[in-house]
Amino acid sequence: MKIDIIKTLFTRFLSSVLTLFLLVSFLFIIIRLSPGDPTDNYISAKLGTELSEKIAEKFSLNQPITNQYFAFISNIIRGDMGVSYNYRLPVFEVIWQYFSFTLVFASISFILQITLSIWIALWVIKKRKRWLDNFLTNSSIFVYSIPAFALGVALIYIFSFNLNIFPISGLKSLDYDYLPFFSQFLDKLHHLVLPLITLSAGGVALFYKYIKESMDELNSQTFILNLRASGLEDNVILRKHILPNALRPLISVAGIELGILLGGALITEVIFSLPGMGRLTVDSIFSRDYPLVIGCVFTAGAVMILANFLADIAKLRLDKRLIKGILN
Amino acid sequence: MKSAIKIIHWLLFLWLLLIILRFELIIDYLSLIFNYISLFLGDTSSAIEVLNFSFVDASLSTLIFLLIIPLMLIFRKRLHFIKGKLNFSFAFLIALCFVFLFAPIISNENPEFSKNLSVTKLLPPLSSVQQIELNPKMDRELTKLEIFRKNSEKIIKPPFNDNVIMADSVLLNDKIIFYHNNQPNEVERNSLNFKDEIPVIEKRIFLLGTDEFGRDLFTRLIYGTRISITVGLGAVLLSFIIGIILGFIAGYQGGLLDIVLNRFTEIFLAFPVIYLVILILAFFGSSIFSVIIVLGISGWMSLFKIVKSEVLSIKQKDFFSTAELVGLSKLQILSKEIIPLIIAPVLVNLVFLFSNVVLAEAALSYLGLGTGNSFPSWGSMISSGQEYITKAWWLIAFPGLGLILTLFSTNSSGMLLGKMINPRIK
Repeated sequence: MKIDIIKTLFTRFLSSVLTLFLLVSFLFIIIRLSPGDPTDNYISAKLGTELSEKIAEKFSLNQPITNQYFAFISNIIRGDMGVSYNYRLPVFEVIWQYFSFTLVFASISFILQITLSIWIALWVIKKRKRWLDNFLTNSSIFVYSIPAFALGVALIYIFSFNLNIFPISGLKSLDYDYLPFFSQFLDKLHHLVLPLITLSAGGVALFYKYIKESMDELNSQTFILNLRASGLEDNVILRKHILPNALRPLISVAGIELGILLGGALITEVIFSLPGMGRLTVDSIFSRDYPLVIGCVFTAGAVMILANFLADIAKLRLDKRLIKGILN
Repeated sequence: MKSAIKIIHWLLFLWLLLIILRFELIIDYLSLIFNYISLFLGDTSSAIEVLNFSFVDASLSTLIFLLIIPLMLIFRKRLHFIKGKLNFSFAFLIALCFVFLFAPIISNENPEFSKNLSVTKLLPPLSSVQQIELNPKMDRELTKLEIFRKNSEKIIKPPFNDNVIMADSVLLNDKIIFYHNNQPNEVERNSLNFKDEIPVIEKRIFLLGTDEFGRDLFTRLIYGTRISITVGLGAVLLSFIIGIILGFIAGYQGGLLDIVLNRFTEIFLAFPVIYLVILILAFFGSSIFSVIIVLGISGWMSLFKIVKSEVLSIKQKDFFSTAELVGLSKLQILSKEIIPLIIAPVLVNLVFLFSNVVLAEAALSYLGLGTGNSFPSWGSMISSGQEYITKAWWLIAFPGLGLILTLFSTNSSGMLLGKMINPRIK
């Protein structure tokens, strides 16, 4: 059994490395195919072409493309992603600054999504009202259909302009540096309320639908009927027997969702101008900061793989029989 | 017995409503078509010269509009879907199809038309201005071609028109005085366009208000719907073709291609694809075609998985080996044996893919990477409206509502379709 698990881990690791390698190679090809040359910036009427040639030589841009590719790959293997053009800092430092925010933001949102959706589903099942059930199922599709930017803009309009309860954008107030520690924390939380609602609404609706569907299916199965006939309380059946089984299909969806969240909540960050990975990625793409683009996409891919891996482990904890399925 | 409203009733209702509301316009379009046919018979080369997109668009949609419902009624025995029960999402999707097909009939304004900015800028919904039509000066005999051009400009509105003046209010004296923000201006009475001795001064109502350039939001929304749906349908069609062909090859032959494609799918399913889409569009430039192609290429993976697994299971069946032994070619096997069997799950997948693509296109337009400024689309309308959020809520509310309702209708009808196909899932 233990050897099996180690083998699984090893093959998983190898295949994720291969995936990341292919991803990075794909990016390299796209960037090389795209029109425009970084050295074009250094050509002008006064300078002639000398400076641009010098720059090309310094960054080995005049070497054959295969050599450049191998140099690029070997640098990545050594953990050197290069230096960002805009920030003039090593790529990993820039990414770490932004990723720390995304990590906190995504984790809060993820926990919020899971707990809220489970809580609502349990509440609805306990209530046993058909109209409530139908209403929530339909409204979950509706909420899931609202695009993040429409929801975000609507929230800003209602709560920031008309009611003036929450700030429009950013993460800190102007007087942030002069506040005591606890108020600093509250200030950040205050700024994060609207972004968290924007980011989490769709996820809550999606998870709710998944949990509710599998709970309904379990509810009609014979082993639940058996438990009920043997006189177990409804509450206990719900918590001990239905909920753990209903969580299983949720976990793979949750893994993907966590990966996407950690890769950066693109639209939400753009609307509320938050310093996260999504905005960093898009900004670096728009400003053609190639090393940073590769770094960001690499991070998003790695995080996605990690999240899927975590989801598999969670599934394994719930059901040991699944080891065979994950092995492949 | 409870009598439910069926889809055919809704179709008929929309059709009759449009005919009643736009009767004059339809007659105008028809007369323009006859005009063109007579021009074509007389002077073919110049007739081909004056052919442009908006004329073809208007005449085609008029013809389709007039023919489609009678044809549906004639063939109603074969069309089973029109007898289905109507619900909100079907109703909305059908209305969307109407907007997509018959945009020139629903609104005969030009989405880019802007004139007299001081009067028409950022008007709230249901506000109105006075519209004065001037008479274009023609001092010589008109040829047949020029008559057609003139008529066509009168009916199909061009983006620029010097002969129209928008004003807050108009005074009719021996000179015509009109006001722009309380500033009086005047024109000669005889330069006006007369219809039965009465000068043409109309009240122009902006149903959903105007945007920051004084353009009619309703018309922009109608044409924006067209762009969004075109992108959605195009990308879905592309994904469908790629997914079904690659899935068939991978399932049928296996081998190296299967392994490569599997790895490829794995990468793309294990990655937020939107970043790659943004990357490609930002580096290679974005237009409506590149958006369709990139979104189409980024969406076929789930379809590939479904088709591959279905083909693998069908391959074991007897009828499949019979088809092979009879000597059907691969294309025939694909189109006659496999597609009819797998069309149901594929269709459900396509519906969800459509809603994903529409959402992605809106998000891309919101980021400024969409179909460009030349076409209004929901996402770009929301993103440009965000600047005026304090002054003009309608700039965001209506495109946003359109987008949300479209996604909701697509998602819920996708679920309904899934339920019909696989009743075990509740």
